[in-house]
Amino acid sequence: MNSSPAIESDAPDLVCQLDNVQGMVDALTCVRWKRHQDALVELSEHGIVLIVEESGCLQAKVYLQREVWISPKPSNSIHQTVESVMLYVCEKLFTKYEYGAEGRPRFGISLGLLVDCLNTFSSPGHSNTIEIKYPGPDMELLLKSVDTLNSCIYSEIRTRIPETSEWDYNFEQAGTAPLTFTVKSAALKEAIDDLEWPGSSVQISLQKSPPCVTLRGEGHGDLQIDFMYYANTDLLLAFHCDTEVSYGYKYKFLKATTANIPGNVARENRGSKLTIGRGGMLKVQHLVSVAKALAPQVESAGYQPPSRIAYIEFFVKPEETA
Amino acid sequence: MKFKAFLTENGVNLLEKRFLAAFDKMGKTCYLFLTKHHLFFLHNLLNGDGVQCIAQFRIDVLFDDYRISSQNEDRIAFSLDVSLLYRAVKSSVSICTEFSGGLASNRLQIKLVKKLPSNCTQPMPFLTFETKGYKSAVIQDVPISKPLSRSQVVELQTALDSAQDLPPTLVQVQDPNQLLNFVDRMKHVGDVLNVTISKHGDLQVQTSTTLIRLGSEFQRLSVIGDKSQAPAEDRNLSAQARSERAIARGDAQSVQVSVKHFLKSLQCHLTKPDSAFYGIAPQGACLTVIFQFMVPGTRQTDKSISLHCRLPVLDPGSN
Repeated sequence: MNSSPAIESDAPDLVCQLDNVQGMVDALTCVRWKRHQDALVELSEHGIVLIVEESGCLQAKVYLQREVWISPKPSNSIHQTVESVMLYVCEKLFTKYEYGAEGRPRFGISLGLLVDCLNTFSSPGHSNTIEIKYPGPDMELLLKSVDTLNSCIYSEIRTRIPETSEWDYNFEQAGTAPLTFTVKSAALKEAIDDLEWPGSSVQISLQKSPPCVTLRGEGHGDLQIDFMYYANTDLLLAFHCDTEVSYGYKYKFLKATTANIPGNVARENRGSKLTIGRGGMLKVQHLVSVAKALAPQVESAGYQPPSRIAYIEFFVKPEETA
Repeated sequence: MKFKAFLTENGVNLLEKRFLAAFDKMGKTCYLFLTKHHLFFLHNLLNGDGVQCIAQFRIDVLFDDYRISSQNEDRIAFSLDVSLLYRAVKSSVSICTEFSGGLASNRLQIKLVKKLPSNCTQPMPFLTFETKGYKSAVIQDVPISKPLSRSQVVELQTALDSAQDLPPTLVQVQDPNQLLNFVDRMKHVGDVLNVTISKHGDLQVQTSTTLIRLGSEFQRLSVIGDKSQAPAEDRNLSAQARSERAIARGDAQSVQVSVKHFLKSLQCHLTKPDSAFYGIAPQGACLTVIFQFMVPGTRQTDKSISLHCRLPVLDPGSN
């Protein structure tokens, strides 16, 4: 290493290393629903959070947490599964994480530029390990590849002072128990893709008995997709609902929650968890693997062992009911 | 003006699987220049703001029974549509393999002809491919331009001669795919590439806009031509600082080229070269990429084939 020992006062807010750039690209790509998008990045001792927002109706967060406690058990499952007896596992997402800031530094950055830039770091032939440092001499975000003999990639991305207005997406549980279901990511993506043709609005309904999730699009004609809990246990992994609810969401916002999941992530086919909160606020959660690429270890049941994960969360506000 | 030859099996392989596949991506038309000893494919040589690409084959690599005659020192040049030529060669190959049952005895003849196409009053020049199958013969005519006049051939030869200048320093990139993958991804970030080549064997490619600077540096490449040792005190500097200092010392040169041009020149990797050399021409006139081919199974340069590209340099400050 050729970095000189940092002087206390000059220590950067953050120096971290990640050994799977592609995982980070995948995670950030999930929330990139248009070409030019401003993102807010917040650093803390617990990790990096990136937030994007649109029209006051849609917000997405990517959590790159320093340490992740993973339970292989699908949460809120009605049925006990074999996996649920396994223990929680602590995974370190970063191979190095040196946090030197007080408070939580935040900065604005172009998401598109960040993703395109990170993508060059993951090009084959280069080491997949990257060092992220903030701030540079001019408040830039500094990236560089490490551990490659005789070649390196480096980048400086200009950051912005973030907007002061807070994006308010307070998510609160609707009732005494959460209204939630977990569905295979690929199935959810397919269902939402199919709802494109009816158009503008999609009604999501949860029904207690028989337990069922309905997605219904109305516009030029209508299309209804039902996930019956007992009929599709392999698709609908978990379901919890103690009262019937139904809210409408703008199609384009709903689509943004699944449309940009990269193909390789969709193929991993983890579960996506959807929760409806107070006032109909919809929370969609995905998990993206940031584990170092190894030979695929998919077991016969298709179950993948827990690994380092980035959390993606979307919040979608419901349409105003007339 | 006469030209007639048989393509050898090796020649067919070289053209079909490697060179025409690459040339097809370099641009729509190119000049084919035939002399007594060599055949050239020349892209953008006369009309110059694109990537110039020059491929030279010794006749015996491609042909046997090669016959050429013209009043202009037995030189013939014409332009043609590369994709049509590529298609003709590909389908000739498929006919050969289909009908000869894999026997290489089947010969592919190539010749220059003048024919009167239907609904035309003037005879037109064609490059004709004749493939003899088991019971039939397939003839394909690739339309070509009128052969160049004596003065045009001289102009082409002069351009060709001046395009052979070697940069004073060349650095060798052993794995061009790494560079290709990187620049291919980089194109989303910026469209002007700053290429710096030093006598110490460093190659740096970098794009910068108002929002981002992104670059890659390859160090300790082998150098042909002018070389010098990097000062020890530079070793711990960042890539940018090192290249700036090398330029200031006169140990490095830097030019700006278009990312699009750079990617186009990387298409030459379809010809499967064994390595590539990058260099900057004197006065920063152009970025030169020379591809090296080895005699199969050896570490000796195959002198019968040569390929190089010259990338036009952008005026600094103009985007």
